[in-house]
Amino acid sequence: MTADDGALVDARGVVRSFGGRRAVDGVDLCVRPGERVAVVGPNGAGKTTLLRILATLLRPEAGTLTIAGAAIPKQSQAAREHIGYLGHDPMVYLDLTAQQNLELFCDLYGVPDAPERIAAALSRVGLVARTHDPVRTFSRGMAQRLGIARLTLHAPRLLLLDEPYTGLDTQGTRILDELLGGLGGREAIVVVTHELDRALELAGEVVVMRRGRVAARVGTAGVGLDRFRTDYQELTA
Amino acid sequence: MNPRGRRQYLALLRKDLRLEFRTRETVVAMGLFSLVIIILFEFTIGERVGNTAPIAGGIIWSTLALGAVLGVGRTWVPEREQRVLDAILIAPVSRLVMMSARTTALVIYLLGVQVVVVPLAVVFFVNGTSAVNLLLIAGVCVLADLCIGIMGALLASMSVFSRTRELVLPVLLLPSLIPVVITAGGATDAVLSPSRQMAEYRGYCLFLAVYAVIFALVAYATFDYILDD
Repeated sequence: MTADDGALVDARGVVRSFGGRRAVDGVDLCVRPGERVAVVGPNGAGKTTLLRILATLLRPEAGTLTIAGAAIPKQSQAAREHIGYLGHDPMVYLDLTAQQNLELFCDLYGVPDAPERIAAALSRVGLVARTHDPVRTFSRGMAQRLGIARLTLHAPRLLLLDEPYTGLDTQGTRILDELLGGLGGREAIVVVTHELDRALELAGEVVVMRRGRVAARVGTAGVGLDRFRTDYQELTA
Repeated sequence: MNPRGRRQYLALLRKDLRLEFRTRETVVAMGLFSLVIIILFEFTIGERVGNTAPIAGGIIWSTLALGAVLGVGRTWVPEREQRVLDAILIAPVSRLVMMSARTTALVIYLLGVQVVVVPLAVVFFVNGTSAVNLLLIAGVCVLADLCIGIMGALLASMSVFSRTRELVLPVLLLPSLIPVVITAGGATDAVLSPSRQMAEYRGYCLFLAVYAVIFALVAYATFDYILDD
């Protein structure tokens, strides 16, 4: 097999163990620009470990991985330019203001027109009025919205989302839906979720994981939630 | 460092200093801890030994090294507690830039503590000294802090993923600082001796500079691998 040059994610036989137990066991995954992939599976299936490997936070022990054409782990730094990662937590400093947090990440990613991007990002997530307030004074939902603003600052091509709707209020959910819906053919999304309906709604392909392996890949076109739920239960039983 | 690296370095340093200015957790804890140790030394040794001037350098630098362990232990704490570590590690920032910013922040914290603790210790153990001597000791502080900052940033980053980091860090840091404490203590004693020993002082400072270079080389060779999983 040769590497897929156009793919944003090209993982082949990726393995990662913890304490002798294979959390990710020979996973193949190819995600091209414009594609949306949801990863579902029961607890301990290896979904988050897979996402952390794609985010260059964990090194694969075996197999090959390229992100946006950069070989991991050798060219991790080059790959990181293209990755936007959002987890359960907003991943912002509580003792800095919203503005200071976004300035920090603009500087880390070398964003050229930082003040304009920050103003636009804060406006998009409805936090303009709280620009100069420490994040510690924010509600959980507001902090998560700031996390969404952080995610989009450097216009990443590969969005890696780990249960991104956790902790979001109605407004935050709408903002994230709008953001993901507004992405074009340049970006790709890999989202880990427990919510099967959300996976069907968001993704063009759903990858079902079980015990570190890919149990099935399901194209979502024309697939109803009830049928998918039945198939999922059989696959993960 | 290229312009992009410089921007990242300044951003990380500004972030550390802003967090410290807002919370005042690290410098205040280090300062109070160092003051308590100085007072303990004064009551346990100063009261029994008539003339503490010949051992003042050793006392001062043992105290500062113990205080530094607290400061180094606080490194990466906001990232861990506020769950920002992944966002920082996933940013396209060279690990060397991260370490340089951490080292600079640690050196600034240490100097902030020493501005108070060193003159006080000199009053306690040497019954005062001249402004020139304090300036010479400030030079020792800068060199020794550089060593402590580099080694501290390196070891704190090594232990950031360890579950027993609170235990591992002092066990690794204090032995690695032994040569720094001995040399900085020697330089301080050379300044505080009745007839200032400048040749000895220069020799000790040169040793500290060599330690700083060696520590920097070790950090340069290893840091890229430490924070990567």
